[in-house]
Amino acid sequence: MSRTSKERVLLYVFVGLFALMSLISPNKFLSPGNLQSMATQLPELGLISLGMMVVILTGGIDLSITYTAALSGIVGALVLSAGYTGGAGEAAAGLLIMKALLAILVTAGLCGSLNGFLVSYVGVSPILVTLGTMTLFEGISLWLTKGGAVSGFPEEFQWIGNGYVGFVPVPILIFAVFAVITAILLERTPWGRSVYMFGCNPVATYFSGINTKKTVMWVYLYAALLAAAAAIIMISRYNSAKVDYGSSYLLQSVAIVVLGGTDIAGGYGKVVGTVIAVGIIQVLSSGLNLIGINRFIVDVTMGALLIGVLLLNYFIGKGSLGKGVKKDAQKANTAL
Amino acid sequence: MRQLSKSKELWIFIILIVLSALISARSSVFLRPDNLIDLLKNNAVLGIMALGMTLIIITGGIDVSVGAVVAVLTVIIGKFMVTLGGNLFLVFLVAVGSGVLLGLFNGALIAFANIPPIVVTLGSMSIINGLMLYYTNGAWISNIPSWFIDFGQITLFKFTDTAGNTVGVPIQIFIFLAMVLLTWALLKYTLVGRAVYAIGGNLVSARRVGINIARTLIFVYAYMGFLAGVAAVTHTSIMRQVDPNAFLGFELQVIAAVVLGGASLTGGTGSIIGTVFGVLFMAVLNNGLILTHIPTFWQKIIVGLIIILAVSFDVLQRKRMEKSLPKIDVEN
Repeated sequence: MSRTSKERVLLYVFVGLFALMSLISPNKFLSPGNLQSMATQLPELGLISLGMMVVILTGGIDLSITYTAALSGIVGALVLSAGYTGGAGEAAAGLLIMKALLAILVTAGLCGSLNGFLVSYVGVSPILVTLGTMTLFEGISLWLTKGGAVSGFPEEFQWIGNGYVGFVPVPILIFAVFAVITAILLERTPWGRSVYMFGCNPVATYFSGINTKKTVMWVYLYAALLAAAAAIIMISRYNSAKVDYGSSYLLQSVAIVVLGGTDIAGGYGKVVGTVIAVGIIQVLSSGLNLIGINRFIVDVTMGALLIGVLLLNYFIGKGSLGKGVKKDAQKANTAL
Repeated sequence: MRQLSKSKELWIFIILIVLSALISARSSVFLRPDNLIDLLKNNAVLGIMALGMTLIIITGGIDVSVGAVVAVLTVIIGKFMVTLGGNLFLVFLVAVGSGVLLGLFNGALIAFANIPPIVVTLGSMSIINGLMLYYTNGAWISNIPSWFIDFGQITLFKFTDTAGNTVGVPIQIFIFLAMVLLTWALLKYTLVGRAVYAIGGNLVSARRVGINIARTLIFVYAYMGFLAGVAAVTHTSIMRQVDPNAFLGFELQVIAAVVLGGASLTGGTGSIIGTVFGVLFMAVLNNGLILTHIPTFWQKIIVGLIIILAVSFDVLQRKRMEKSLPKIDVEN
């Protein structure tokens, strides 16, 4: 069972980094202000990474996920700003916010269904489909906004991205709820099991009587739902919506999922791993920022970390060749 | 299979012709020689990069670091020319040399450590971008020496068009054509070119035939680096300054052009002529939208829709073909 230790190693890295940063600048890093701002920044990338992880578990990839978030956020923002007249009552604002949230969910649902339909029912490879839909969603977002920002929301809406419950920021609570839901869905439901099975061997899964098309369809829909949650936090936090909000999260989220121990070829990966990986990246970027290290060096560290972890995995995997796991069998095959 | 891949290129060619006809019906400027020449010149960099990406995609790989690589190469040659001077040959040598080194780094990790290409290049992208932006702080390099600017303005085959303007073909178009010929010949007539197709088609068979997989993969990524070097020189000669942020998101444009040209990301299929059509399609579309005063976001919508339709059509066609064949064994 060497596989469970992947997440444990990550946890040690996280704790070690956290301790290191606390030691280097105890006054700044451990200050409530910094901890709160970390907890506000992390959820958007975290939610998108969770969505990306679910897709990668099936051996796919979703390049359109950040533009799904951008597009649904923009639609929600348009609903919000169109219906907001200024000093309306609290009830009216509440109704408007409900309408906007619905619009965001429906838009993301449509985006996810398009991806899911093309990948599962038509059978096009995920990277091609989502490359196309990515361009399409970006185009539609640009068309809706003409490249500008949509703003003018009711004040109540800002609570989602900037509010606190006690001293805990609301975004991190939303993230925690979705992380738990994702973990339960993946690890405790038949759908979750079939997602892992499909990632390991789609043909065998199909022949064991699972409706693989439906499984994959729901994977892309669920990823879009998580993107929608990220979009809600994002437009609330910035108090506006724009095409390029969150576009830098795309490749970052893939990096985080891989760092979190998920097999890029599908079949293995845990929510815990992804959550810890998001934490590591956040601690690293906030911590390095606080001690005055250039933010570009943070990017370099992230890239080096990604390649380093995989090199480490490779050398560890080489040591335990032939344990009967799918990946090892493949390696033995390539060694011929 | 051969017939199918031929028809794929035919399709994009037909779409390209129809699009050109539509645009020239709405705008008299489109078919003017100076417009077509400008169109080619402005897309030479995309074209050069797409050639290298075609090889990578044929092997079943992908390289998302190309934007970062070509950006850092423009910075390197910019700094080189400003601080050391040098001459054209040296600039080419520096660009291509550094490009090949970066390509070797990607290729070695992919070939020897067995890490999936998308992950390796994701990592190298953030390392290269981070280092470059840290070093330059995003500042532009603008005092490029005049001899290099003169090189960028060379035109050949001057002629006078119907309106009486003297038009010449810029050097950048010749660089692009030279790279097209080189890459085409490489794929068609050399051992390594055939190995590229073999690896993408069936990795296990390729190994059993005795193809050195690792060496071929490293060559392919190094060749991408070589082309990135050529593209960096071409880009700088057009822009006459260096903007470290000029290539943000460029990798996805390159990949889109290659995919439109009919290369399949699962490997084994794709051709230089298809990629050239893919690049021309993106170029004509963009140019046509500007000429007909249609907002450019339509370009994204149209390219997105065409990618989706093209790949779906391709898969459906293949499925129909497979159905008509007798099935002998289950996949894998």
